[in-house]
Amino acid sequence: MTFKDQLKFVRQNMKKNKMRIFMTVLATAMGCTFLIVLASVGFGLQETLVKDQLEQSLVTEIQIHGYEDKDGNYHEITDEEIEYIESIEGIKAVTRRIQLYQTPDYKIDNYQSNANTVVAHFPSELKAGLKLAEGNLPEAENEIVVGYNFEEYLTEKDADPEEIYDEQGTVKEAFRYSDSLIGKNIDMTVYQYIDGEEQSQTTSLKVVGILEKPTREWATDSNVYITEGTLSEIEEFTGTLRGSIQQDGEQVSEPDSDSDTYNTVNAYANNLEVVDSISTQLKDENYLTYSVADEVKQINMLFTIAKAGLIFIGTIAILIASIGIYNTMTMAVTERAPDIGIMKAIGANPKTIKQIFLLESSYIGFMGAIIGTIVAYIISFAVNIGLPLIIEMAFQEEVPEGLKFSSIPLSLVAISTGICLLVTIVSGSRPAKRATKIDVLKAMRREI
Amino acid sequence: MITVKHLYHDFELGKKGNKTTLPVLKDISFQVNKGEIVTIAGRSGSGKSTLLNLVSGFIKPTQGEIWINNTRVTDLNEATFADFRLEHVGFIFQNFQLIPSMTAYQNIELPLILKGTDEPTRKQRTIETLTKVGLIDHQDHYPSELSGGQQQRVSIARALVLNPPLILADEPTGSLDSETEAELLNFIKQLNKEMDITFLIITHDEEVASIGNHTIHIKDGKLIAGGVFQ
Ligand SMILES: Nc1ncnc2c1ncn2[C@@H]1O[C@H](COP(=O)(O)OP(=O)(O)OP(=O)(O)O)[C@@H](O)[C@H]1O
Ligand SMILES: [Mg+2]
Repeated sequence: MTFKDQLKFVRQNMKKNKMRIFMTVLATAMGCTFLIVLASVGFGLQETLVKDQLEQSLVTEIQIHGYEDKDGNYHEITDEEIEYIESIEGIKAVTRRIQLYQTPDYKIDNYQSNANTVVAHFPSELKAGLKLAEGNLPEAENEIVVGYNFEEYLTEKDADPEEIYDEQGTVKEAFRYSDSLIGKNIDMTVYQYIDGEEQSQTTSLKVVGILEKPTREWATDSNVYITEGTLSEIEEFTGTLRGSIQQDGEQVSEPDSDSDTYNTVNAYANNLEVVDSISTQLKDENYLTYSVADEVKQINMLFTIAKAGLIFIGTIAILIASIGIYNTMTMAVTERAPDIGIMKAIGANPKTIKQIFLLESSYIGFMGAIIGTIVAYIISFAVNIGLPLIIEMAFQEEVPEGLKFSSIPLSLVAISTGICLLVTIVSGSRPAKRATKIDVLKAMRREI
Repeated sequence: MITVKHLYHDFELGKKGNKTTLPVLKDISFQVNKGEIVTIAGRSGSGKSTLLNLVSGFIKPTQGEIWINNTRVTDLNEATFADFRLEHVGFIFQNFQLIPSMTAYQNIELPLILKGTDEPTRKQRTIETLTKVGLIDHQDHYPSELSGGQQQRVSIARALVLNPPLILADEPTGSLDSETEAELLNFIKQLNKEMDITFLIITHDEEVASIGNHTIHIKDGKLIAGGVFQ
């Protein structure tokens, strides 16, 4: 008997008891919907969280905080390590920054600001994707570039500190420096206590460039990027490593710190795919690293466990529905026993009989899965639209933009359909087996 | 075509612990040659149906062997016997045994479907056979919408549709009036002559038994050699 004929046969049989079949399909569909909707919450929240993570950070970035030697001692990164990291396949650039250990005052005309000050290695920064919004990179020793947001913090010197900030904590337009900084000289003042007295040194620096706005929406860059020469000058004045301020003879700078180490070292991979392997390689070599890929990996791991749990609970609903399928199939076999007897008498193979009944139960399962999936999509859609509204109304609380409560990827549909089919075939297999055992003579005497 | 050798059959009666065996067939041996019509006659309860059910493979003998078309069918298991039946044996039953939810056409088509015949051939064979039994105008009738004689003709058509070399019939005229009975017997003779189909027919009616080239008489589960019908 061909598959096509079996299917036709099954359809005809199912038509004979539409209501019963409908109820069974309905129960299966409900189980399937329950499973999908339940698990979709796991998928939805995971998607939202991972998306957030990936949006808020540079995914190809691997932060390298230092390394541990064989004896477990921590070391900061030096040029030697950077050279090695740069040689790793898949690495695009390794940026390195030296942090000034005080925030100097910057003054221009009547405006001033305190700004975080760093020495950056521009060739690698450029390779990593840093761009200038205006001007060019420093060439002479007393030239600087500033971050995109530096100007926003440059405020009128004599203004009342109570008045200059608006509610969001940013400087009001009226108090901001409004000219272009490019080509202007700006005075940097650094401090140090010498013999208990506070002394200062002011250097005039020329702004030659402004960096582009950071790609991440929420990030700001108000750094001042000085040259190594300027750093040396500051260190000469303060007499300490990286210009740290030493008060009353107290030791602030780390005495064992090497002067040729870097504070911030970031490696950038060519693409997202290699981040994980590079990060693992570095970890294996005892580097202390952090990347968003690590974070995402952990989030994914957590959600995989959660999703498995949700799918397991959902499967119980389908198992309950399978009792209905078992019932329906048992009744179908009993009802059709005389027909089965006749078919066996004229030469139907027991295998064929079994296949027909298995096909019927998997047909029910398949229909249930399809209807269940469609309904699940509708519910998921409604939940994503409706739930934020309800939360806002009931709790007067804003739901974060782009939050997805429920998401149904194709993999979930495949999983639920698979479970549904498996369960229905298993629950239909006993009745199907019973059908093959029907005694021809008894059936033809209508004794069953 | 059929060879039966020293066939015994006992039925088990009663429940566990209180079992008795009822010997129904004792040392049955006979042969049916190709192209013959052989009838089996005997009183009610003599074991005729049991003998035919053994030949059909619906039950297994206690002892002895049965050969059909050079196959020792007593060696076949349930599944292979089913395939064998589909291929080699047609059946006519006293109660017609048509599937009530199927039309005459569908009932006749069923063996072709079971065999996996392609659709055009199926249609052609079904129509051909419907025509042969004279029911082409009734093809869409359900069994409940046909007379007894018509139903029996549908069941004959179903037996014929796969061109089997052998047809087994248990009291084929048992549910028919004498006029229809005569018609059916003529039809069987015609099929035997024209298509060379071998028939093994069970009956308790002397007149029906007389259409056979031979008649095998059974009494209390034993053959009566050249016996007279009582
Ligand atoms: N399934 C069974 N279990 C137990 N005994 C049975 C069974 N089938 C038949 N018998 C017994 O076997 C004997 C022969 O029965 P069988 O049906 O072969 O007779 P028959 O010759 O066909 O009679 P009839 O002409 O009435 O159809 C009977 O005594 C009957 O009681
Ligand atoms: Mg009988």
